[in-house]
Amino acid sequence: MPVEPQDVTISDVAYTCTISISCATILDHMDWLDPEKVELVPEDGWILEPIQVTFYEGESVFNVLQRTCKQQGIHMEFENTPMYNSAYIEGIHNLYEFDCGELSGWMYKVNEWFPNYGCSRYQLQDGDVICWEYTCDLGIDVGGYRATGG
Amino acid sequence: MFFMHPASLSISLLCAMIYSIYLNGRRAVRFQLFCLLPMMLLAAVVNPAFNHEGATLLMYLPSGNPLTLESILYGLAAAAMLAAVILWFSCYTAVMTSDKFVYLFGRVIPALSLVLSMTLRFVPKFKIQLHTVSEAQRCVGRDVSNGSLIQRLRNAVTILSIMLTWALENAIETADSMKSRGYGLPGRTAFSIYRFDDRDRAVLGWLAFCGFYILSGWLAGGLYWRYYPTVKSTTISPLTISFQLVYLALCLTPVLLNLREDRFWKRQNKKGEGPCCKA
Repeated sequence: MPVEPQDVTISDVAYTCTISISCATILDHMDWLDPEKVELVPEDGWILEPIQVTFYEGESVFNVLQRTCKQQGIHMEFENTPMYNSAYIEGIHNLYEFDCGELSGWMYKVNEWFPNYGCSRYQLQDGDVICWEYTCDLGIDVGGYRATGG
Repeated sequence: MFFMHPASLSISLLCAMIYSIYLNGRRAVRFQLFCLLPMMLLAAVVNPAFNHEGATLLMYLPSGNPLTLESILYGLAAAAMLAAVILWFSCYTAVMTSDKFVYLFGRVIPALSLVLSMTLRFVPKFKIQLHTVSEAQRCVGRDVSNGSLIQRLRNAVTILSIMLTWALENAIETADSMKSRGYGLPGRTAFSIYRFDDRDRAVLGWLAFCGFYILSGWLAGGLYWRYYPTVKSTTISPLTISFQLVYLALCLTPVLLNLREDRFWKRQNKKGEGPCCKA
């Protein structure tokens, strides 16, 4: 169930989770991609291969993504959206929404499930597996079409 | 003014600065220092504050988003472009007087060009008239510097009402006067001292050549410069340098023409056969 980030207290109990960032779907749609961004796409699609990171009880997917990106030196831009009470990830590694077709953008799944709410509202459990995936087709190509309202 | 290539931007900005100083003198310097420079700084700061694209992360802003080198550079470029556009337009207003404007467009779009020239002339004229009216009111002790707050407000409103009446009447008078002279009628010729002679042909040819050369250079990607996600440009070759040089020549053309004219004028006067010195 989604939580509201302002109601959460973060304790100092450390857990671990797995996080990865992938833009493999772009490899199938190179012709849609903004030509200035072609050089950014890694050959195997992994911007960040799955790694174990530490997080603290009560933290959300967004907290983990932000901390990991800072640690790994990966570019990430987000915008706080009051309407959904969550951060919206506009771009990771300079790959932005709409860069690969008008249905493209970043989505996340936890334990193979795409939540239909923002990443600041997903509270992590110990051992969760987070995947950030770039979709070129509103989630269909990564298997998360239901989360986008389809 | 059109190209985001830093070399083109610096050329454009520099030439616009030179030309506006040439045309407006000290006033232009003051404007550039006290209006343009703060505005440029603001524009340069605003971009990295709201735009976080770019591959070179410098630090993180308090909002949590990164500050990138590319967004700073883009902000600077946008500021330079904005300043260059404003400066070129300030040169345009100094050069394109309303008689030139009416001469150019008086036959094609008579009504619009008259309205435009009246509108453009309105602000300076209004300022002068406002000065006259408030001086006159001051002489009879009814100016905004006298009396209680209410009294001063009343005086200000009176002056405003006088000005409004004057402006409306003046506009009608101008329009009537132009109409009575047959402005805009078919077959009416306009007196103008502009002739299209060889000099104009030469300059037009020069402008067309520069425009064509730069346009084809731009279409061929010779002025390509990318800010996001990493700064990238075409390789520096004699060809790409030639595009910038032609652009420099184009931007400097008005200054050079004016300077040449000045020298010619001075020489003529020294000889004692200048058109103004003939007794």
